[in-house]
Amino acid sequence: MEARNTIRKRYYFVTGILFLLALGLLLLPHRKNVKELSPEDLLVSISTSDRFYSPENVARLIISGDPSIQLIDVRTAEEFAAYSLPKAINIPLANILDKDKKGNYVWQDVLNQDIKTNIIYSNGTVYANQAWMLISRMNFKNNYVLKGGLNAFFENIIKAKAPLASAPQSEIDLYSFRKAVAMYFGGGGSISTATTDAKSGDGTPVVKKKKEAKSGGGC
Amino acid sequence: MEKLQEPKKYMNPYLAGFLLGLTMIAAFYFSGRGLGASGAIKSSVTAIVSAVAPEHANNSEFYSSYKGEGSSPLNSWLVFEMIGFIFGALISGYIGGRIKKDIVKPPKVKVNTRMIMALIGGIVAGIGATLGRGCTSGAGLTGMSNLSVAGFISFMAMFGGAFMFSFFLRKYWINR
Amino acid sequence: MGPLIQQGIINPEWNSIIAFVIGISFGFILEQAGFSTARKIVGVFYGYDMTVLRVFLTAVVTASIGLLYFNYLGWIDLDLIYINPTFIWSAIVGGVLVGLGMIVGGYCPGTSFAAAAIGKIDGIVFIGGLFIGVFFYGETYNWLFKDLHEAGNLGAITMYNLLGISSGALEFFFILFAILLFWMTIVITKKFSNKLLKY
Repeated sequence: MEARNTIRKRYYFVTGILFLLALGLLLLPHRKNVKELSPEDLLVSISTSDRFYSPENVARLIISGDPSIQLIDVRTAEEFAAYSLPKAINIPLANILDKDKKGNYVWQDVLNQDIKTNIIYSNGTVYANQAWMLISRMNFKNNYVLKGGLNAFFENIIKAKAPLASAPQSEIDLYSFRKAVAMYFGGGGSISTATTDAKSGDGTPVVKKKKEAKSGGGC
Repeated sequence: MEKLQEPKKYMNPYLAGFLLGLTMIAAFYFSGRGLGASGAIKSSVTAIVSAVAPEHANNSEFYSSYKGEGSSPLNSWLVFEMIGFIFGALISGYIGGRIKKDIVKPPKVKVNTRMIMALIGGIVAGIGATLGRGCTSGAGLTGMSNLSVAGFISFMAMFGGAFMFSFFLRKYWINR
Repeated sequence: MGPLIQQGIINPEWNSIIAFVIGISFGFILEQAGFSTARKIVGVFYGYDMTVLRVFLTAVVTASIGLLYFNYLGWIDLDLIYINPTFIWSAIVGGVLVGLGMIVGGYCPGTSFAAAAIGKIDGIVFIGGLFIGVFFYGETYNWLFKDLHEAGNLGAITMYNLLGISSGALEFFFILFAILLFWMTIVITKKFSNKLLKY
């Protein structure tokens, strides 16, 4: 009888510990794991040039109003306010990894998604590339870079030089396309487009996307 | 015949369970996967079939899904784990003094009957484990440890099913 | 940190050695707990020996608590571990078949290996049956089992995803349920041990 009581006491003890552990789990928040790309994988994706979108492609997508693309402007807010591509979202490079109080990335909902294709741009390619690298490291999907940045966009498209009359048909077609784009952007060859306040389209100012309530409580 | 008294006492079930849980955590911590048993049988059967009739194995949707790319189907985590399993059981049996050629059966049941029952049980469990994507350890134990829905369903189906059928087999196992 | 192989902290070549060592531990524990005899396994269903259920539940509770705490401490990334995909119909039918095989043959696949390792002939015969069963399944897969095997795919979901609660909350209720079962096993064994249902 004595031994039996000790065993029973032990069971109560273990039951108590189990209950405490369970209570602990109930009270602890679920930790979110952010998967980072390993350096090797990152190197592979850097060395392929798949991440680039040519200015022509971007222009075509903008004009056709393709809803599946999302332009991300990583220049500073001032530069963004001065000029931006239509419907671009401004996420200055310095703020791209900002976290909210809960430790979630503020821009995660914009940058990490399956639905839209993000095209990152800055004035040149360098800052956009840096931004791309940072978010690729976070293993966020569907992010691309505008090749040559805004400069190339204007050099190639808005200020497109007319080809010689003897140029092949494809080149002339390309030129007429570029001309059409330039018309769309209202540039028409004027040099000052990039720096004047003439905003084209509806370049939305800094509007932070509200973090949507996640459905379900999982990870 | 089963001996009446066991050579050494078995481990306390709660202690054994606790250690088994730690092993499970170790498997997840190192290899990112849980324990299993029937997966090794699937790999072995695939290996045998591929060795005997390679073309047949390649044409079959089932066998080709268990074949590793390029490597032998035996070169899988679960196969190595089960080889270790047999060693571990041997060590434990040796320590406990339980290694002995023996047949576990209810006292009044004939040896042949027991053998046929074991074979039928094995066949049914083999089909079930393949269909249900794992056996008691692979689907039940591992599945419940990582709180997957599959684990809970499998556990309930396995133990519920066995409990259901135990009623019809009570004359076989328990003859008073 | 973990899982170490997936995170590239340990060379994948070590994986088979780790598997072997973990297998030793697994086999050792199952044999030590007495899973190497059909008597213990069948005992659960006739109420005279609850060892299997106790070991099973304790292992599940330990592992699931451990994994959640490891995840909280950042030692293991639960998103990287393998979650069994849920195919609801094949899980139910397959599970019932495993249960039937367990009560007919007296073993389940894992325990039959433990039994065979210490020389139980019926365990070896059971393993033979397993091989035949899997072979039969493989041969008839295309025209007999395929539809059932692929039916009701819910993906690799967890209970807390399904119920839409946090993993901690689910674990809490699960542990409460497990504690209840543990105490029930004690009551059941007490009740049935008087009835001489043992063999």
